[in-house]
Order: sequence, then C-alpha cells, then structure tokens
Amino acid sequence: MTMAKTQTDSEHEWTPRIVAYCCNWCSYAGADLAGTSRIQYPPNARIVRVNCTGRISPEFILAALDMGADGVLVSGCHPGDCHYTSGNLKLRARWAIMEKAIEQAGIDTRRIRLQWASASEGQVFADGVAKLVEQVKELGPIQEEWK
Amino acid sequence: MTEASQKIDTAEKREPRIGVFVCHCGHNIAGVVDVEEVSEKAKSLPGVVFSTHEMFMCADAGQQLIKDKIDELKLNRVVVASCSPRMHEPTFRRVCESAGLNRYLFEQVNLREHVSWCHMRQPEAATEKAWDLVRMAVARARQLDELPIKQVDVTPRTLVVGGGIAGLRAALDIADRGFEAVLVEKEPELGGHVRKWTHLFPADESGAQVISPLIRHVERHKLIDVMTNSKVAEFGGYIGNFDVKIENLKTHKTKTVQVGTVVVATGFRPFEPEGYYAYEQSENIVTLAQLQELPPRAELRRPSDGRIVKKLAFIGCVGSREPGKKGHEHCSRHCCSAVAQASADLKDRVDEVLILYQDIRTYGRGHEELHRLALSKHVIYSKFPREEKPTVHVDDDGNIKVTWTDVLTGDQLEFEPELLVLATAMIPPDDVAETANLFSLTRSGDGFFNPEHIKLAPLTTHTAGVMIAGAAQAAKNASESVIDASGAAAKAVGLMARGKVEIESTVSHVIPELCSACHTCITCCPYGAIAMDEEHDPPVAYVTEAKCHGCGTCAAACPSNAIIMYHSTDNQIMAMIEAYLCPTDMEQQGGN
Ligand code: FES
Repeated sequence: MTMAKTQTDSEHEWTPRIVAYCCNWCSYAGADLAGTSRIQYPPNARIVRVNCTGRISPEFILAALDMGADGVLVSGCHPGDCHYTSGNLKLRARWAIMEKAIEQAGIDTRRIRLQWASASEGQVFADGVAKLVEQVKELGPIQEEWK
Repeated sequence: MTEASQKIDTAEKREPRIGVFVCHCGHNIAGVVDVEEVSEKAKSLPGVVFSTHEMFMCADAGQQLIKDKIDELKLNRVVVASCSPRMHEPTFRRVCESAGLNRYLFEQVNLREHVSWCHMRQPEAATEKAWDLVRMAVARARQLDELPIKQVDVTPRTLVVGGGIAGLRAALDIADRGFEAVLVEKEPELGGHVRKWTHLFPADESGAQVISPLIRHVERHKLIDVMTNSKVAEFGGYIGNFDVKIENLKTHKTKTVQVGTVVVATGFRPFEPEGYYAYEQSENIVTLAQLQELPPRAELRRPSDGRIVKKLAFIGCVGSREPGKKGHEHCSRHCCSAVAQASADLKDRVDEVLILYQDIRTYGRGHEELHRLALSKHVIYSKFPREEKPTVHVDDDGNIKVTWTDVLTGDQLEFEPELLVLATAMIPPDDVAETANLFSLTRSGDGFFNPEHIKLAPLTTHTAGVMIAGAAQAAKNASESVIDASGAAAKAVGLMARGKVEIESTVSHVIPELCSACHTCITCCPYGAIAMDEEHDPPVAYVTEAKCHGCGTCAAACPSNAIIMYHSTDNQIMAMIEAYLCPTDMEQQGGN
C-alpha cells in the first residue's frame, strides 16, 4: 500500500526536505524558466510563492526549521530590481540578525540560503537549489541538530 | 472604491468544500508525474469533497468541468494543479468567477514548470513532490478568504515621458484617438537624437526631414500638452489614477497632473568610448553619433583643422557584444546598418572607406541592401578576430594609424585614415536609474527597462498602467521605436477607452487593537502608504489601500503582528509549511 511504501522509503534513505520562499516577480519566474528550459535540478525543494521577499519574516524561516525542514531557501530579485523597489533590502537586513538567531539555537547556518535570481536566471535558481541540497546533505537531517 | 477591510465574512465562516483538479497537460505533466495517484490521494485531504484528473484543465472541457462541479457540489474553494500560475491564474480565476466563486478562493499548483519539466528523469520523486505541493495548496485553500473585487476609473489622460521619435509618435497616436497626452521632454526642443542626425537609414533622408512633420503635428495638436525643459519630479498612485509632479528645469516651477496611463520613452545614449581605440587622443577619432551630427557639406572635413578627408575608417561593435562586461554584452542592433549607410553615402566624397568589423548583422528590411550598396561602391570590409581587437596609434603630429589582423588572409594590415569613426553601443541614458525608481521599473542585464513578458507582453511593464516604448526597452533603431510607440499608445488607449480597470485587492491592513504605534511599518513601506491615524485614540497606523502595492514588507516587519497581508496571511503561509513538513495522519496517508 501507499503508506507502507512511503515509510520504508524514508527508513532506508533520508532525502533533505527544503522549503523555498520565492518572490513572485523574479525568482518564482526564474524557477518557471528553469522548467521551461528543461534544466534538471534536485527535486527536494517545495516553493512557496510570496509577492516579495520583503514579506518573509524570520518567523517563517524559524518555523520551517522547527517543523523539520532540513534547509530553507529564500530567493528574490537582485538588489535594486525588487518589484516593490526595496523589499529585498529589508529582507537582507533581517537576514543577518536571523542568521545569528539560528546560530544561537545551535543550528548550522549552512541550512539557510539567501540568493538573488532574476526572471531570466533559470540556471542561477536551479544551481542555488542544488547548492543548498548539497550543503544540507553534508550536514544530515536537522533532527540531529535540534536535540 | 470599497475598502477591503470592510469585508467579507462569508467564505471563511463556511466549511471549506474544496475541489482539486489535476491536469495532465497532455504528456507534459502526466508523462512524469503519476497524476492519477496524486488526485486519488487528494480525496482524503481535509475539506476536499472532489478530486479528479483531466487531460487539459485550461481547455474548454476542463473549464466547464470546474464550473459544473462548483455548481453541482457547491464547491467554495478550487485548486487546480497544472502549469505556472504566472501563465493561467487569470484564466482559472475567471472560470471560478463565472461560476459565482470569488477569484481569491482559487489556488493553483505548479506541477509543470516546477515539477515535471525539471525532474523529468525522476518520476517517483516528482510524484512525491507533486503530492506535497497539492497537499500544501489544499491547506492554503482552507485558509483562503474572499476579497472584494475593486474597480477604479481610468483618468482619460496619458503621460508620455520623452520627446524623441517614440514619444512623439505615442503622443500623436493617443491624441488622434481623442485622448489627452502630456508630453514631457527634458531638452529645450523635441525630436531627440533623430533630429540631430544628418543621415538616417534605410531611406536617404536627414533626421530633421523625417521628424519635423511629426514635431509640427504634435505641437499643433489641441489634445497634446508639450512641456519641454521639464522632467517628472514625483510619481505616485496606481493604474488609472497616477499623480505626476512635473518640474520645469529652468524656472523650477512645478505642475501637478493626474493621468491614467504612462508611456515611458526615455530612449538611450550613445556610449562615449573612453579607453577604446585612442578615442581621447585625437579630435579626428569620433563616434558614429558624432559623425551623424556633422553638418552636411559637399565634402567630408575632419574636425581638427577642417582638411578634406580622403581616407575614412570605421570600427564596429565598440562597447557592444563584450561578454562578461556588464551593460556592454548586448548587440546594439542599429550600428551595422547605420555604418553601411554612412559608408556608402560618404564613399562618393572620399577616396577610400574601410570598415573593420567583428560580424555584420544587417537584419532589418532594406538593411542588407545597404550593405550590398556599400560593397558595390568598393567600401572595403575587413573582419578582425574577436579576441584580438585592432590597435589605434596617434603620433605626435596627430596622424592616426590603425593596425589589425585580417581574418580571411591572416595578414597584419595597416591603414592611416584622416578620420576614424567608432560605432559605439546604445546604452541607457545617465538618469535611467532615477527613471526606473520613479516608475518602479526593473532593468535587465543591458540596463534597459524590462517588459512585462519578453514575448507575450513586450510593451507593458510590471507596474500596471505603465508602458515602455522605443530604445528605453532595448537597443533598437528609429523604425522599430516607432512601431513600439504605436503599440504602447494602443495599450494606453485601450485602458482609457474602457474607462474602468480592476485592481488587486491584495493589500495590507492594520488591526488597530494590536498596533503599538511603533512606526516600524511607516518607515519600511516603499510607497508611503502607511500613516498614523491621529484621530484614533490612541493614534495607530493605518494603510491607504489605494497606495498599497501589496509587497507585504510591513506585515513581516510589524513586531506586534498587527498587520494582515490579504491573500498572503501568516496563517495561509504557515498552513502550507505545516502541510508539507508535519502532515496529519489523514494528510500523510492520502487514500484510505
Ligand atoms: S519582488 Fe522580488 S524581492 Fe521584492
């Protein structure tokens, strides 16, 4: 049965679970372009679309890690190119503080990744996912760090 | 306009009745993802009353199916798992609405661009990802709220920024359709670059000959308000209702106008090739733009001493097509044809004309003929290697010597022209960043403004109501700019003729009871849409919905969690994360 199969799979082989917050205007479109261009990259990320990276509060990232995400990706427009002029700069300012918080919680900061990928940068987006998956694979499941 | 805050307690109070429709997209999705398994599992998700899979959800049959099921099963949320919402979200929102369901109760899952196309060789992992995404979307759907549909009037007036050939054409097209245009030009005269050019390809006319009738028409038109020596100092508002402050650069007087739409036609600037080919070392090394602006005379005379030029040389792709050099990677498109025209034309007045080039791209209508004309007049074309540019040396007496390797013969060659013309790149104007900021436009790698979609919407931008035309969008020649201008004008006229436009209801809202009046949101809002409501006791922040663009930065920044970002609420986002990472037993299993 389906259930049994899922469970055996997860016992045998751990695959990282990644939450990817993407802004609608650049990175979500960049991920679309990666698909349209048939760029193949690891299937571990689940994209959550937000209007702008400025919408992403540290809680979203901490909550995802807390609920068991092995890594969190935030991907937005390049600085200067934010559809709302400066939302990504606000996010970038929060990022530094959040990295500290994560470090203090005993979590390796290589589990989170902030990247800029424009709507024309499908490859940059795909490479970013691959890079984070690779980093997280080296670190292992997050459960081991939380305890 | 109705305020979104005075909404709507209907749908959220109702039990969710969710319909899930998984699309095969022919073989595009179903060839990788097990769509049957996904739609079967979805049946067990909380709130889901119907789930199916279908060949093409966007086709008539698929659309009808959604309508029928909304009707038959009283669905109050619809989830379609298909292609990117950037493609068909508007389509499915319309379908829902035509069946009486508020458009904000629709949710789309991207199984094509984000799953099947990028994990083509991993069908199992792709199916698992698809199932996770559907579960997340259903969880979000349970949290969705109905929002009011807001319509606003469109002020029947267009702001045209830039009085070059594109701006003139756009203003005239708009005015000829009976709408007012305000044309703002920072120079004292209309006509832009074209007016200054003594020769224009492909027809052998001067720029002034081409553009003067256009300028006359514009200046005489009753519906066009021409403002030269002026610039846009402030720009605010939203589609249909922009407020523009225009400043006269001489008198510093300002004038405020309301417009419904905008055409940005701010053009380009010819690249000043400092550091290239000894440009600064001799007055007789000029750019193509400078050559085009030399006074028309019977003979060609060189700038330094007015001596008649016998030997003339051009070098192509100066500051264009340089991989890895930001802002100079693009092909400037107009130069090959312009050089062919200029060389063919000047060959009648000088003894020798040499063109050094990397590649020749005379792609437009009538342009290849110019190239052939130049060749037939014995203009010499010599190709130099990409990795080994020609060198230019100016000696103490001011003589110019060009040395290069000819690709075809492999020989090292020399030429001593009296005048050397560098065909330099088209790059964005100096104040492009300011313009981008003013109108919230993004720019691509070459520095020009991004269109909304490169193929499907090349004239509109991501700022609703703001169009781009001409060389503001990319390097292009005068005829191409005029085509753009008429297209952009048609877009503006379309909006104004309808008179009304729907705007997004996805704005933020401050809950007064939770606001601690810390001003954080006021300082972080990029649009100045949040202010203190001093009448409220105690004073709290409030959002002017018409000014809010919906980025959600305030909601993320608010330390009191007092701000709701409609359609992107904390609950809606967290529900997705939870459904992915901590599914309930029922969600975990799928099927039963
Ligand atoms: S819209 Fe992409 S980061 Fe703001």
